[in-house]
Amino acid sequence: MAGPISLRVITPEAVTLDTTCSSISFPTTDGSVGVLKGHAPMVAALGVGELQLRGDAGDSAMFIAGGFAEVRDNVVRVVTDVSEPPTEIDVERASKAAERARARLETNESAEGEHLDVLRARASLARAIMRQQIASKYRR
Amino acid sequence: MAGIKELRLRIKSVGSIKQITRAMEMVASTKLRRFQDRAVASRPYSEEIAGLVSRLSSMLGDDMEDQPLFSPGAGDRTLVLLITSDRGLCGAFNTNLFRELERWLAGRDVSKHDFFVYGRKGAQYLTSRGRNVTRFITDPPMEEIDYHNAALTGRMLTSEFAGGAYKDVFIGYSAFESMVKYTPQITPFLPLTPDALGGAGEAQSEAIMEPDAKSIFESLVPRYLETRIYNSLLESLTSEYASRRFAMKNATDAADDMQKALKGVYNRKRQEGITKELLDIVGGTEAVK
Repeated sequence: MAGPISLRVITPEAVTLDTTCSSISFPTTDGSVGVLKGHAPMVAALGVGELQLRGDAGDSAMFIAGGFAEVRDNVVRVVTDVSEPPTEIDVERASKAAERARARLETNESAEGEHLDVLRARASLARAIMRQQIASKYRR
Repeated sequence: MAGIKELRLRIKSVGSIKQITRAMEMVASTKLRRFQDRAVASRPYSEEIAGLVSRLSSMLGDDMEDQPLFSPGAGDRTLVLLITSDRGLCGAFNTNLFRELERWLAGRDVSKHDFFVYGRKGAQYLTSRGRNVTRFITDPPMEEIDYHNAALTGRMLTSEFAGGAYKDVFIGYSAFESMVKYTPQITPFLPLTPDALGGAGEAQSEAIMEPDAKSIFESLVPRYLETRIYNSLLESLTSEYASRRFAMKNATDAADDMQKALKGVYNRKRQEGITKELLDIVGGTEAVK
């Protein structure tokens, strides 16, 4: 059932995207979810990954990390901490962050202690890898 | 009456003070605009989060009472986050907040209150009165506050509360109502009450929950608290600059009036002097004739 659905991506700093498109997919904590027109109302916790949208103006993507998505009456509202279009991703920073996280995981994971640090390093590694992937996919 | 030389000096110094206050007024207006823009930009996010919280809490209903942040803490102390300014010269901005705080504290056991403070003025005020300032948050400086750091403060408050030492947490800040109205207020932060979340709102028919309502709610609540801290900080900063701009505008106007009055006196004196000299000369020539 193709038809327009509107999408708003909202971060604490600004509304970064406000558009209509025909299909949207976003990463939830339990895997990716696709939304078309006429989707049942839904609230989802978001994971780290790529928000994809397909519309008349072509396809586009965005890096998002954490937050929530709410689907209601053909409106998708994505409330997230971070949202970056591929062109704004700082690849260098991401690869540095990935390195740092890997190093921290190597030293800490065997030590068994500092549980929180391991969790945090894992999360930051996931974010960095996702950023790199999206950037390499869309930037030529 | 001051001599003509002293008058000239005073006019000059009033003039330079006027220049300074005018510059400060302009700085305050640009900063005010910046913080106002940020406050406006953050509104959709907090509205969205607040909306989600209220819809979810109406869905969860009674289950919500079991959530740890919804019942008073085990301790008997109270934690207050006080948001003030780093710098003075902003009119009655801080004084009003302190007055509100004192009114609020009256009838409470002051020794059972701990304070987290933003802004040097607040820290000075509280320490000078021997209040228990547990933490004075200076890093990052208030003006560079962003969502991330506000969130850290929010998490800090929440973990202090969850740690069990406190029975409740309040925020004291100046709410921005308009360019000329900022209301100092002390509002409850934790524990959360279903009423404050608008729990009685529209009961939404079954929406799909991914993964499930309870875990969404559990990760939503901290975020809700973070946005509240962030908004309070932004509002306080906006109020501060609105207040400073107003104060500096008044100072500039007052300096203007004073300069005018002094100039009047100065000119009269100068004229008097000239007239006297002329009289002398005329008298002199008359005598020579």
